Amino acid sequence: MSDIAVAAPAPSRLRRGAVRALKAVAPFAVLAIAWQTASLFFPPILFPSLGDIAKNILTILTTWDMLSQGLITFARMMFAVMLSLLIGVPIGLAMGLWRGADDFLRPIIKFIMGVPALNWVIIVVIWFSNVELRIAFVLVMLCVPITAFCVYDGVRSIDRKLTDMVLSFGASRAQYIRLLLWPFVKSFAFTATKLNIGNAVRTVIVAELVGASFGIGRELDLAKNVFDMAMVLAWTLIMVAVAIMMTHGVEALERIVLRWRGDHHDRT
Amino acid sequence: MSEQSPVKIRVEKAKKSFIQKSGGAVEAIRELTFDVADNEYVAIVGPTGAGKSVLFDCLLGLKSLDGGRITIDGEPVEKFIRKKGRIARIFQEDRLLPWLTATDNVALGLQIQGVPEAERRERAREWLRAVGLGTFTEALPSEMSGGMRQRTNIARAFATGPEIILLDEAFSALDEITAMRLRSDFRALARRQKMTFLIVTHSIDEAIYLGTRILVFGAPARLVHQIAVPEGASDSPAEVDRIRSEIRHWISVSGRDASTAA
Ligand SMILES: Nc1ncnc2c1ncn2[C@@H]1O[C@H](COP(=O)(O)OP(=O)(O)OP(=O)(O)O)[C@@H](O)[C@H]1O
Ligand SMILES: [Mg+2]
Repeated sequence: MSDIAVAAPAPSRLRRGAVRALKAVAPFAVLAIAWQTASLFFPPILFPSLGDIAKNILTILTTWDMLSQGLITFARMMFAVMLSLLIGVPIGLAMGLWRGADDFLRPIIKFIMGVPALNWVIIVVIWFSNVELRIAFVLVMLCVPITAFCVYDGVRSIDRKLTDMVLSFGASRAQYIRLLLWPFVKSFAFTATKLNIGNAVRTVIVAELVGASFGIGRELDLAKNVFDMAMVLAWTLIMVAVAIMMTHGVEALERIVLRWRGDHHDRT
Repeated sequence: MSEQSPVKIRVEKAKKSFIQKSGGAVEAIRELTFDVADNEYVAIVGPTGAGKSVLFDCLLGLKSLDGGRITIDGEPVEKFIRKKGRIARIFQEDRLLPWLTATDNVALGLQIQGVPEAERRERAREWLRAVGLGTFTEALPSEMSGGMRQRTNIARAFATGPEIILLDEAFSALDEITAMRLRSDFRALARRQKMTFLIVTHSIDEAIYLGTRILVFGAPARLVHQIAVPEGASDSPAEVDRIRSEIRHWISVSGRDASTAA
């Protein structure tokens, strides 16, 4: 199989590249065509044309007043994801390292994990008057359990043999954490961050509906009031694109920080 | 030889058992007594599960005995290891940290000792050169062959300048040609450094080649027999044959013993 691939002349390799590119865009192309076809038969309030959506995206990107709303929302997301790392990593480490911490913290984390996002929104409205605090609180509550459990799994999956090796050299507890545990657990923190970006982008708007006077949530609310479906979709596409870009950003950082892991996937 | 040199390691009536999760007790070490002289090279052979690795854990202070005692230089193990880097272990698998370069892996023990970065990296590079990896100082473990990783592992053990090195089947996972070269390199380094080492091995030839004395263990760990290996014995086929059959005899005796005890 691989022999054939190596021997393959350049043109056919080019064709394979084209086929792969086609495969990547095909699902979206089909979706777009279906949407565009639907827009011919339904009113724009239900299925606005792709052109309209594109125009709205352009408007958002070129109007500072609107663009800034988007940036505010993404800043809130980033802040919440980072804060969840700061809170979740120590919790996960403690759970992984000490039985007592695990026994105590696990039920709490599980409990928090079971609370639906919308319930948090209602709770924070009653608890806090500051809008930023409300949003941050909701997002952090949704993200911290994921970080904690990922890091916990990381600690538990450390090779016992490496632990023995480090201890054989007389490492103290602090040295063990610094030299073995943390470098190892880092990759799990990256996984948690990627999961939380998806988590945050899916819930940030819900959190913003608690009365934020800035942000994408408000923009969507305005668009909803005038049944501007094209605008709703434009914001939606932008949010998806930003989530993907943020994930790629984290992955790029991961490749630098965890260079030793190399590239697992054969991309040739 | 062991009569003239001072005693380095003394194991006296050591006992160690484990309570398993199922509730049953497993005896790992049963009344083990032996001495190791300073600069002596002791090879330990014995059946699997005889508590040899557990003995090494106890020598490193990672596990404590249930009874008896182990002293090094006349002081209890716990006291001896308080100054880090005096005793090192070479494992069967290389156990390198995958995110560190060869240099940083070799420097690990020094780092734990608190040696400043520039100095420990310099010493690590020297040791990499000593084991023939002078051009691979910045390679990651994933970029090295099994033999190269094991060389790095050996360099790491020597780097802290230990008085004692414990080798737990350090060459068993390698192909025979690589193992042969590493054994002779190891022996040369150990002689140069003036040190004591204990090697656990399943290879009788390896025991004869590296050891100045061979201890035959029974299971659970206890001394069944010991044989002095005369200087240059590994070069004389007749000597090797004699020692080999003597060890075989005692292993088979200890094996029967273990099976009747079980
Ligand atoms: N942490 C532990 N908990 C329970 N039992 C243990 C533990 N460590 C070792 N044992 C038991 O102690 C006995 C001796 O184990 P050890 O690893 O020292 O054997 P060994 O002589 O090194 O064998 P091998 O030649 O196969 O490496 C075994 O029966 C093992 O199951
Ligand atoms: Mg063993």
